[in-house]
Amino acid sequence: MIELKQVWKQFDERIVLRPMDLIVRPGETVALVGPNGAGKSTALRILAGTVHASGGSATIAGNTAYLPQRLGVPESTVVGDLAALVAGARRLPQHVVDRVRQVSGLADRWSARLSELSGGQRQRLMLALATADEIGALLLDEPSISMDVDGAEEVRATIELARRRGAAVLFASHHLQDVACLAQRIVLLVSGEVVADGSLAELAAAAGVSWSTGLIDPPIERVYRVLVSRSLGRGTVRAA
Amino acid sequence: MTAPLLSFELAAARRGRTAPLFAAGFALASIAIALVGLSAGGSIVVQGFARTSISLLQLILWVVPLLALLSGAVAGAECYELEFIAALPLTRAQLVVSRWAASLVALGVALFIGLGSAGLVISVFAGAADGWRYLGLLAIAALLLSACLAVGLAIGVQVRSRGRALAVAIIAWCVLVVGVDFVAMGVLALLPAGTAVGPLSLLLVADPIDAARALGLGLFQADAIAGPTGAALRAVMGGWGGLVLIVSLLAWTGLPLRFAARTLARRDL
Repeated sequence: MIELKQVWKQFDERIVLRPMDLIVRPGETVALVGPNGAGKSTALRILAGTVHASGGSATIAGNTAYLPQRLGVPESTVVGDLAALVAGARRLPQHVVDRVRQVSGLADRWSARLSELSGGQRQRLMLALATADEIGALLLDEPSISMDVDGAEEVRATIELARRRGAAVLFASHHLQDVACLAQRIVLLVSGEVVADGSLAELAAAAGVSWSTGLIDPPIERVYRVLVSRSLGRGTVRAA
Repeated sequence: MTAPLLSFELAAARRGRTAPLFAAGFALASIAIALVGLSAGGSIVVQGFARTSISLLQLILWVVPLLALLSGAVAGAECYELEFIAALPLTRAQLVVSRWAASLVALGVALFIGLGSAGLVISVFAGAADGWRYLGLLAIAALLLSACLAVGLAIGVQVRSRGRALAVAIIAWCVLVVGVDFVAMGVLALLPAGTAVGPLSLLLVADPIDAARALGLGLFQADAIAGPTGAALRAVMGGWGGLVLIVSLLAWTGLPLRFAARTLARRDL
């Protein structure tokens, strides 16, 4: 389980995340959406432990896997060395590492440097490493970034698999179709503040956008635009 | 420090270009210093271990700290780019110590290759007399490398930006190489005769390069050129001076590493 209790963050004089409460239960996928600078990455980085909260508490039950927006390792790193590090740090058995080799599709590039891989290959590798073992929580910052259509589909499948295995999944994304496909709950952040929190249907209702579950292409972009522009003009919209 | 992290850092250091270039450059410079002085007849005269070591000490005191400070500064600043690794079940202290240890091993091996090549040349041409002292010189070089790497890492972690860290490392090198000597001269000039011994001894342990210099010269009993701080230390510490210097070099490794680990633990990546 992932839990944020009144977590906030200030960089110098600027508050980038206002007191935020959030619970993501095992087997649940929650998406953080919002414009650039809304505080999505900060919330994830606080949970991952790479950024310290200015106040409040952030807790995660079980092993945590975190995929940052930036690569987070030197580009000169060799694929096999990185896999060995993750396996060693998490005490993964060899057969799990072998599975990562296959799942990532990089078995023949195991001695290549990360700089020699395409953006999509790197992302696939990092995601395969992050989700290699049983994890309690999966934190992903823009997981579909630099992925082509097939790659993005693979990312969605991996996230869904982790959720089905019982992980609490929290991800930030600008790809609203990913959000619509994957998230049971959507948290909209604007200027460091949670302005909407609920399922897509609840957010659509709060935005006054008509939508039914039968629609092939849910109007998430319209819902998003309405809620963001409304919150920039007014206060918080509580969908749930 | 965990074994997987150390292996990872060692693999990265092994694949880098710094250590092989350092090994080759240092070997060339060391051998050049060893092969000095052509006789009138044109035959090569190789100096013995004692004389060559004193010549090589100067090379060590200038080159090793500069390279170690720069390498350490880059390694320290890079800690902020390791978000994926930092989110693994590892502590920030493990991250810092592993980076230091991997650089120490990589550059230490390069240093030993460089100085070892010169040692081989000397022993072939001039015999192995004083060879154990040469091994002592290697140990002093390793202690200095360790201390300067730790200081560089602390600079990199504190400064954060790679470019600024390199600039600060160069300034630190200038201060340690010549700045402290200026302070020593100032102390000698300002304090009344006979009262400068204490402050000069402190200056010696406050500068790892000066400490290594005094240790190296002491190793070859070249006391006359150990400088005012070295003479002062001997006056205060007697026979324990060497041990004090070794402890000070170890402290120059431990304290900056501790500082770097604490700073990184407190900071956001």
